[in-house]
Amino acid sequence: MRYLFIISALLLCCISTATIAQQKKVLIQGTVIDKKEKVSIPGVNILSGTPLASVGMTNEKGEFSVSVLPDAKLVFSYVGYTTVTQKLDGKTKLTIFMNTSASYLNETVVVGYQTKSKILSTGSSVVITGKQIQDVPAGNAMELLQGKVAGLNIQNNNGMPGMRGSINIRGLSNINVSGAGDNAFLTPTSPLFVIDGVPIDDNSSYEYGFQQAGPGISPVSLIPTEDIERIEVLKDAQATSLYGSKGAYGVILITTKRGNSKIPIVSYTSKFFMNTVPQLRKVIGGRDERMMRIDQILRYDTSYYHGLGMINNSAMLSDSLNAYWNNSTDWQSYFYRQTFNQSHNVDISGGDQLFNYKVNVGSYAENGILENTGFTRYNLNMNMQYQPSPRFKLFASINNALGKNSVGSGNGLLQTGVATGGSSSSLLPAPSQFSAVNDLLASLKTQNDNKTVNTVTTLDIQYEFIKGLRASTNFSYNFNTATEDTFRPSSLSNGGGGQSTYFNERRSTVYNRNMLSYFKTLNDKHNFTAYVFNEINMNKAKADKVRLVSNVSDYIQGPYGYGFYNSRGGTLDNFADARSVAFAGAFTYNYDQKYVIDLTYRVDGTSTNGPDAGYSKNPSIGLRWNFFKENLFKDFNWLDYASLKASYGKNINPNGSIYDVYGKYLSGPAYNNNTTVSLDKGVIPNTGLLPTTTMQLNAGFEMGIYKDRLSFTFDTYYKQVDNILRSKAVANINSFGSISTNETSLVNYGYEFSMRGRPLSEGSKVNWTLSFNGAINKDVLTHLPNGDRELIYDDGRQLILYRLGMNSLSNVLYNTKGVYATSGAVPVDPLTGLRYRTAGGNPAYFQAGDPYFTDLNGDYILDNNDLVVVGNSQPRFVGGLGSFAQYKGFSLNMNFSFTLGRDIINNALADRLQNFSNPTAPGAMVPLNEYNSWQNPGDIADFPNGLDFTRQARVQPFRYNQTLFQEDGSYLKLNDVTLSYNLNRKFTQRYGMNSLRIYGTAKNLHTFSNYSGPNPENVSALGRDTSGGYPNSRSYTLGLSVQF
Amino acid sequence: MMNNKQPLALLYVLMAGMTLLLTPSCKKYLPDARLTLGNDAAFTTTTYEPVLGRNTLFTGNFNIGNSTLSQPLDFKIINLRRKNGDPAPELTENHPTLVWKQPYLGDEKSLEEIEAKRKIEYHPLFEIREHSGQFLVWAGANSTFVKVRPDSGYVFDVEVSNSGGRRYFRDFRLKPFRERPYEPSNLDPITGNATSPAVNASIVNNVKGVRTSRNMGGGDVAVYFNRVGTGKSLTFKFLDSAQNVIDPNLFALTKWESLVHGFKMEKTNTQVKYEVAYPIPLITYQTKYTTPSGERARAVFRYERLGFGGIREEANLGIDFSIYQEGSWEIVFQFRNESPKFNND
Repeated sequence: MRYLFIISALLLCCISTATIAQQKKVLIQGTVIDKKEKVSIPGVNILSGTPLASVGMTNEKGEFSVSVLPDAKLVFSYVGYTTVTQKLDGKTKLTIFMNTSASYLNETVVVGYQTKSKILSTGSSVVITGKQIQDVPAGNAMELLQGKVAGLNIQNNNGMPGMRGSINIRGLSNINVSGAGDNAFLTPTSPLFVIDGVPIDDNSSYEYGFQQAGPGISPVSLIPTEDIERIEVLKDAQATSLYGSKGAYGVILITTKRGNSKIPIVSYTSKFFMNTVPQLRKVIGGRDERMMRIDQILRYDTSYYHGLGMINNSAMLSDSLNAYWNNSTDWQSYFYRQTFNQSHNVDISGGDQLFNYKVNVGSYAENGILENTGFTRYNLNMNMQYQPSPRFKLFASINNALGKNSVGSGNGLLQTGVATGGSSSSLLPAPSQFSAVNDLLASLKTQNDNKTVNTVTTLDIQYEFIKGLRASTNFSYNFNTATEDTFRPSSLSNGGGGQSTYFNERRSTVYNRNMLSYFKTLNDKHNFTAYVFNEINMNKAKADKVRLVSNVSDYIQGPYGYGFYNSRGGTLDNFADARSVAFAGAFTYNYDQKYVIDLTYRVDGTSTNGPDAGYSKNPSIGLRWNFFKENLFKDFNWLDYASLKASYGKNINPNGSIYDVYGKYLSGPAYNNNTTVSLDKGVIPNTGLLPTTTMQLNAGFEMGIYKDRLSFTFDTYYKQVDNILRSKAVANINSFGSISTNETSLVNYGYEFSMRGRPLSEGSKVNWTLSFNGAINKDVLTHLPNGDRELIYDDGRQLILYRLGMNSLSNVLYNTKGVYATSGAVPVDPLTGLRYRTAGGNPAYFQAGDPYFTDLNGDYILDNNDLVVVGNSQPRFVGGLGSFAQYKGFSLNMNFSFTLGRDIINNALADRLQNFSNPTAPGAMVPLNEYNSWQNPGDIADFPNGLDFTRQARVQPFRYNQTLFQEDGSYLKLNDVTLSYNLNRKFTQRYGMNSLRIYGTAKNLHTFSNYSGPNPENVSALGRDTSGGYPNSRSYTLGLSVQF
Repeated sequence: MMNNKQPLALLYVLMAGMTLLLTPSCKKYLPDARLTLGNDAAFTTTTYEPVLGRNTLFTGNFNIGNSTLSQPLDFKIINLRRKNGDPAPELTENHPTLVWKQPYLGDEKSLEEIEAKRKIEYHPLFEIREHSGQFLVWAGANSTFVKVRPDSGYVFDVEVSNSGGRRYFRDFRLKPFRERPYEPSNLDPITGNATSPAVNASIVNNVKGVRTSRNMGGGDVAVYFNRVGTGKSLTFKFLDSAQNVIDPNLFALTKWESLVHGFKMEKTNTQVKYEVAYPIPLITYQTKYTTPSGERARAVFRYERLGFGGIREEANLGIDFSIYQEGSWEIVFQFRNESPKFNND
């Protein structure tokens, strides 16, 4: 906008100056090229003379030809690029390289639906451009942000294509855990996604791709990375304050590309990538397995002859020549495969301020490394902007995406079939129709066909009544339909015939925002902006599911078979019809861009608020002092900018459902031949239910020195999450079971820093940028229901402790100090002379080879009283490193991410070691010699004697809840390496291409870690490495990007 | 241009300043990480009645309620006093006590090996386990200086604490019984006087009387525990109904080496003697010398004979017993009514 004025003003000047400099002109010809991308830049404004006046512009090939005085200077200027001044020195042919302006001062941020200069923003936000992530293939763009934003903790813990891992901004926001064992999940608190100004519902059912039903494809997965212009992560409450409801966990803004070139640009990006199977879990196979089992029985059975009997009774062990048992099957290999995938994207864009457009067509197909899983995405995204006059602007977009995926026999997160099937004994025969391992057949033969269609339409109109006063309205409609068709063939159903499941879900969101804004500048120093808006959000969701059993045949899947009596169908209970309405206002003032104050106020009402709770009121205030503009720093030439800022704000996230607020009626039993309606006594209605509130304080410091060669950002924050919803059991004297209340609170505080530097001098031929960011976060639980000081959650394997004043989620385990080398090393009760033993009527006295658990209360009995609170499942320090180096046409980009200080529990290893408790059961065995396990008296070992199976039920040496399986989950991951080459432009232009870039990318290349399992990142949000997890694959990409 | 160090120095100062400024100010409002000590944590037993002369452990006497993860708790006995309020130094002063250092497994090959596993330490005779709340009465306590029934005994309070709080439990009673050096006992728990001359044998199987060929029962065999002097030995003797000595060799099937966990067996025609470690059994732990529960030693004497009709009959005679006091003990089996029949029919 502003540039348009400048350009036109300069053009006017041009006419007047041109008349003076009529004589002795020389013709200068040349090309303007983007230094980084090695592509020509059309439309570059060329200025010359004193005062500067426009003398020309580059054409669509980036070429120019201007007539100027021979001693003139040429100034090349283009939006988004650093202005270049070139002396002629008698030259008539010029090649001008322009650098994209990375200058901080020119960067903009979007806060509260308004674009503002970064230097005037008081909140904490980070911008990632689409270019930084586009070379890496990903089903979900979010996984590529890992390690790039300080304070954004992304753990890509789900390798299933199209699903996304856990995303947390500034630590934990909820402590509730549901489920048990491998299915224990932390309630997700994913940030709000705002795509092109429209908040998108990316609620809990997509967070982990974990749905009992449905494809689980998140709307964010349906955006192609190639279409992303930039992603902005808003962290503190000032930045997120105007996003109101749902903004409490942070906001991620995604802006898709727009047309901005007068000459239409067609760019085509293609990626071919190969996903390889990562490190799998180690097992022992074939004869080794049989001999190990036999040896185990003979050495440790109660008597030699009982052992012989046991071996002879087990056909698996004794009948070694039977073809059924005489195998060495690597079960994991049948589940996993190497896949070849591709992605294509065509982007057609063009236009100028008056009218611009973009069409993005893409397809992305990724087959999962697990058989029978995969994700395919087709999209057609279009937008256009029409601005006939500076006072009127219309923007419209329609984004269509179709996602097809298959989750095999599992769900979006867990592949329990793979977990149990993959841990079968290698002695069993390889898969066939009559396979011994049904889980494998289920995984291979289950037909799972899911489809997600997402359509987002947006219309945004702005009109400026009088100068400075602008009205705008934004309307969007988002429609999402998801279907899942699953068919289990009859061979998997124990003779019950095939089983078909049909799932159909529809979600729709209507969103409208109307805004009135006013901008005023007084005396060139006092700048005011004020705006008010209202926002309406209507969400509807309904899902139906039908399950037909006993299909007639595997070829005719319906309409129904002979099992109609057992067939089921209906609407699922996640039916939703939620509304929210908000009114908000903001006022911003800055004095000469030196002192900035932002005030916002937002009032939110949601239909899941209790009627007694009313509207929630969320104020925020932000201050910024750009102290480098003070006179004191005037002579500090090395200082580009330096600012201090501070903010305070509140934000909400609605939680619970209307049933928590108003209760529920159920159809009751018949009375006098009439049906009755009765109150659901499970949950007491709580009409005072509040949304979750976060209050955040933020203080930051930003500085850039030596012409942006080194820039530095530091933020420290205090984030208090209050009113977390938690179900509370009520005393059984009431007729109700529980009540949902907002009594839980926690606090996160921490530090974030990021640094970017160019170690080489500006004149160097190599352009090298290094960046580093990190965030230290500490969470403290501050309130629990009923004023309790601590609560315990039992997930069936480990206890999770919530204790005030501590980290919110603590593991509760037996502390394994080691393994008794000899029986004499077992502690002995000085009074009774009895050895340390297990609890119960028939205790096992510890002996050589048993694990040494700390006897916390010193009673020489191992029981619940000896559990210790040890370990924090949440990462304490996360961050990333990046390096970008460019030399001529070559560039090398590397990204690392790290997580330090996290305790993870290797349940998968425990699962496998527990198989030793029954040597005749057909489960997979780990090669014990790879673990430092106790074998003979006197051995100093880490792992207890696994072979003594007769005592294992009582000693439980491989119990899940012990520190033996809790390991340090710190890791440093080389996320991706991209080597790319821009072909010589002259060469490509010969073939009609403006630019051609080829590149190779390796993703998930290596994880440096001391963790004993396959991948310390591939663990649940509670830090549990479960057998059923979907491993992350390593992928190698060959990419091509052409621009016409 | 300024020198390079200046901007970095400025940066450090600012960073450090902000860190220092914010850390204490926000922590101030956060709750302390404290353990809890709920109101539901309580002692389930308040009166303790140990038998002196033997190690006694009172266990399962404290219920922590819902604060299981707030351990360890610290337990302390306070105000230990006699019923009349006088101090009770006899229980609080340290006494030499034999404590186990190594696990007794039942497979020790010599007396020295057993003795090497325990050693003398000084302990108050009445203690509470620091973190579990179990009460300990050491074997060194005896009625010569400790108040025993029928005296009212002692009164004490217990202080329980952790970082979450401190609670006092008051007026516990300790009412010891005088020592009974062996079990099964024929001594009255209160007075210590014998209520019968002997106890009955625990195991009497297929033992037939010489006169009547009747199967004898436990009541037919009296067992006397006699402490004949100091030392560390155990002797078994057998007397017939006429008080004549029965040759132990007649119990020919007896597994002499596993009769008791004793060493240097001396078997004569009149008795069999072992060097043993006291108490017997050493601990409550099942070994080949004990009952299945491990609470008592089990000494079984066996023999066989041909019964009526030429059928082989195996006979057992034995006693499940404990001896707590060290000394030279003899256990005498006396057939009350008639002597056992060793000859074939």
